[in-house]
Formats: sequence, C-alpha cells, structure tokens
Amino acid sequence: MSYRPQPDFDRPTAESVQRTRRATIWIIPAVILQQTTLIFGHGDVFSQLLGAICWTTLTIAELWWLLGLPFRWMSERDQAILNDEWSRSVSGDAARWGIATAALVGCGMMIARIWVALDAGVAIFALVNSALIVAVARSWWLDRGEPGDDE
Amino acid sequence: MNERLANRLKERRTELGLTQGQLAELCLVSRKTINTVENGVFVPSTLLALKLADALSVPVEQLFWIDS
Repeated sequence: MSYRPQPDFDRPTAESVQRTRRATIWIIPAVILQQTTLIFGHGDVFSQLLGAICWTTLTIAELWWLLGLPFRWMSERDQAILNDEWSRSVSGDAARWGIATAALVGCGMMIARIWVALDAGVAIFALVNSALIVAVARSWWLDRGEPGDDE
Repeated sequence: MNERLANRLKERRTELGLTQGQLAELCLVSRKTINTVENGVFVPSTLLALKLADALSVPVEQLFWIDS
C-alpha cells in the first residue's frame, strides 16, 4: 500500500498555532460554563454522554494550552518554537496560579461545609474548573498580544 | 537587593542588521521570547543566553550582565 504525501500548504506552522492559541483561548471558560448545564442538568443519557465528551475535549485542549503538547507531525523547528522557554515559563506560571486557586477554593469549601452541605459532584466541579479558569486567564494575560514591531 | 539582568541584545542585533524574527529563527525560539528577553521581561536560561551570544558572535558576558 502506498500513501500519497500530504501537501505542505495545509499544515499548521508554529506561528499559526500561536496565533490560534491567542485568538481562541476565551473559548475554554465559555465551554466550562456551558458544561455546567450538561453535567448537572440531570438529563437523559445523551446529555450525560455529551457532557463527558465535552469534558474530555476540554481536558485535551487545556493540556495543549498549559503543557504545550508536541505535535508529532510538525517539523522539529516548529515543535521547538511552540515549546520554547517563553511558552514553558508562561505555562509554569499559569499552572502555579491554578494550583494556588485549587488550594484556596478547597480551603474555602472545607470551611463552608461547616454551615452548608456540599454536594461532592458540585464541589469537584467547582474545584477543578476554578483552577482551570484561573490558569487559562493567567496564561492569556502573560501571553497577550503579539510582540511589538520587528525592526 | 534589587538585581536584574540587563542586556544589549537589541543593540547587537541591530548592529548585525538582524530582525527579532531572524534571530529567533537562528536560536529556534519564538519571536516573543526574543522580544521579552530584549525588554527585560523574561530572564533566559543559560542555554538560551549562550545560543544568543553565539548567534550574535559575542561573548555571553558582553551580552548579559547583572544590573544592581
């Protein structure tokens, strides 16, 4: 069996992936908020399945944003640029903010449960997604905008 | 003590007639990395500092120094 070589023109480059990351990062909080109705809506099997698919897709997208997962089909140059020091520094800082948020929200919930009965599902959802939203927001803030004019 | 890493990256780059994008290509990093290092926003690793010095043909200590 022979394979036709894939043309180069439709392959993403490091620069186009960086532009896409910056332009679409707002989607993650939007999807998280939308998931709430799917996961806690007590709907039918279809809704629950859709919620699970959404959650998995979101997790993969966030891992890509935060950890800079490599694209095996990209050239070494593009992979090196996408995972360069600035990108790793931004991911690391965003991850620290996410962990700090999880710690604070967790602590807050432990105190709140003295007065309010917390549902385990809701608590996990709030803990995980508050951390993710803060991490994504921090990542967006540090990496906002294209650098100034190149001369 | 308030120390920061100063550099003459931009000065040396423009001397050689290189753009940030061209220097980024030489070091296999993004232009954002070069931009943030030049502006003192980001402190590069020793590895990247040595790569930059090599690409700009100067000793690393002439490119970076500690500004107290």
